[in-house]
Amino acid sequence: MAKETTSQHRDESTGGGTPVPTDSVDAALSAVETDGLSGYNYAYLDEHTKREVRRSMLKAVAIPGHQVPYASRPMPLARGWGTGGIQASLSLLGPADTLKVIDQGADESVNAANIRRLAENTAEVATTTDTTKADLIQSRHRIPEEVLTDDQRLVLQVPITDALRKVDPSDAANRRRHAHKNYGKMWVHLYENVVEYGEINIASRYPTMVANRYLMDPSPIPRWDVPKLDDANHLTILAAGREARIYAVPPHTSVEPLAFEDRSFTVERFPEQACHACGSTDTYLVEVSEEPGTTAGDDDTAASFETRYACNDSSFCAKRRENPNLPKDHHLDRSGVDWGPATPDGGENA
Amino acid sequence: MRALGIDPVHDTRRTFDGLLSAMSRPGTVHQVPAPADHAVVATLVDHEVTIATADEGLRDALSGQGRLEPAAVEDADIVHVRDHTAVDVRACKRGPLVEPSEGAIIVYRVDSISGSSGLGTTVTLSGPGVDGTAALSVSVPESALSALSEAQSEYPRGVDAVFATEERIAAVPRSVTMEVA
Repeated sequence: MAKETTSQHRDESTGGGTPVPTDSVDAALSAVETDGLSGYNYAYLDEHTKREVRRSMLKAVAIPGHQVPYASRPMPLARGWGTGGIQASLSLLGPADTLKVIDQGADESVNAANIRRLAENTAEVATTTDTTKADLIQSRHRIPEEVLTDDQRLVLQVPITDALRKVDPSDAANRRRHAHKNYGKMWVHLYENVVEYGEINIASRYPTMVANRYLMDPSPIPRWDVPKLDDANHLTILAAGREARIYAVPPHTSVEPLAFEDRSFTVERFPEQACHACGSTDTYLVEVSEEPGTTAGDDDTAASFETRYACNDSSFCAKRRENPNLPKDHHLDRSGVDWGPATPDGGENA
Repeated sequence: MRALGIDPVHDTRRTFDGLLSAMSRPGTVHQVPAPADHAVVATLVDHEVTIATADEGLRDALSGQGRLEPAAVEDADIVHVRDHTAVDVRACKRGPLVEPSEGAIIVYRVDSISGSSGLGTTVTLSGPGVDGTAALSVSVPESALSALSEAQSEYPRGVDAVFATEERIAAVPRSVTMEVA
């Protein structure tokens, strides 16, 4: 949504572009002057578009897991970059709401910062990086580590809406399969997986049965996050801009990953690993390759890089750095909250 | 719609917020701008969908903005009912099995609703969105809720119901099971 500015001076060293501070994405974005968004409707979308998105959201909630079509509009960023999620979020947000946007667990990515800024500028919402303070969380590829509550809503950006596309590229055929709850082809796929690899070898977009009726693609969240959707306290809206489909998982709805009696669903494990920054062993970790020293020389060979593990949820990692024993349900009155995988070392938080 | 005293941007947003909460947590009652049934219609209806209503004021307001696409109860996407005896919900559109979302939303204007035992008929709800079971009382006779239950019995085909008083709403989506308590 960056607009061309006419008043900025041009710096030759940047090839005619506008020099901006680079210490953080938000600072860089706020340094770019724009003509503002006067003339746009509240929350950017026109009311006609909001009605369309809202009708589909209600239907999606009434038929959990069913992909409801809607007229996805062009947005000021390319389809595939979260346009479905933005349309859902902007149809929901009000001036009293606080929004958090995460991209692969990070609040600071360019995509997340841009989406946050669009909502901030057009819907006059407050924004936060703290999961516990957000009313609405728009996310790509992750569900936060901290337990979501009754009062929160989660909007997941969805690139591919149909779990069955993996086994048949025909949407028409797959819709008939959904209509008749005919998921035999997916079961065969899982069986072949077991025959070939000895286990179900699906990293993300794990096929998941919602309310014992519809097979759902839970978006590219890792397996680690799938159990968080089951009997959750929060409402989850999954919105795809490119494919123009919205589906939902209401609170307290059964969400069951497909698995066999003798090959159960498993989440990712990180044996012997902890986050190098906060020491957590009960969070979803990602591998980070970094040079060991700050000035390790010019040797760019693989041997000079060190692989470390880090929390994927950067905002919870920051809290854990301050308080290493902070449970994932620290903001709730009750204990024993079931949220995602259990702590491997048998910690109090499961 | 200003004609109905409902702000087209913020009142409809507040109404949608209530609708989404009511639909995702069946049995819960939510405050929305008054009159609630008009606010719900103003939030959802435009020329992209058809509506069946006997409410002249509502029809005029929609028509004045080019948003009225009238249809018979059997064909309408949204059915607005001020008198529950005037419409048989079993006749409403339930949508095809491949696209059940084409089933109707029926908006009842009623005198009172309550999230616990109260006036009228009390039902027990269970299913998606309900933690265990939830009670909902609506000031309509048992036969009206039995008819709704029948209209929702072919899941995923079916109708979704919204009950609206002057300023409160509750919803019974087709996904829940309703039993008269």
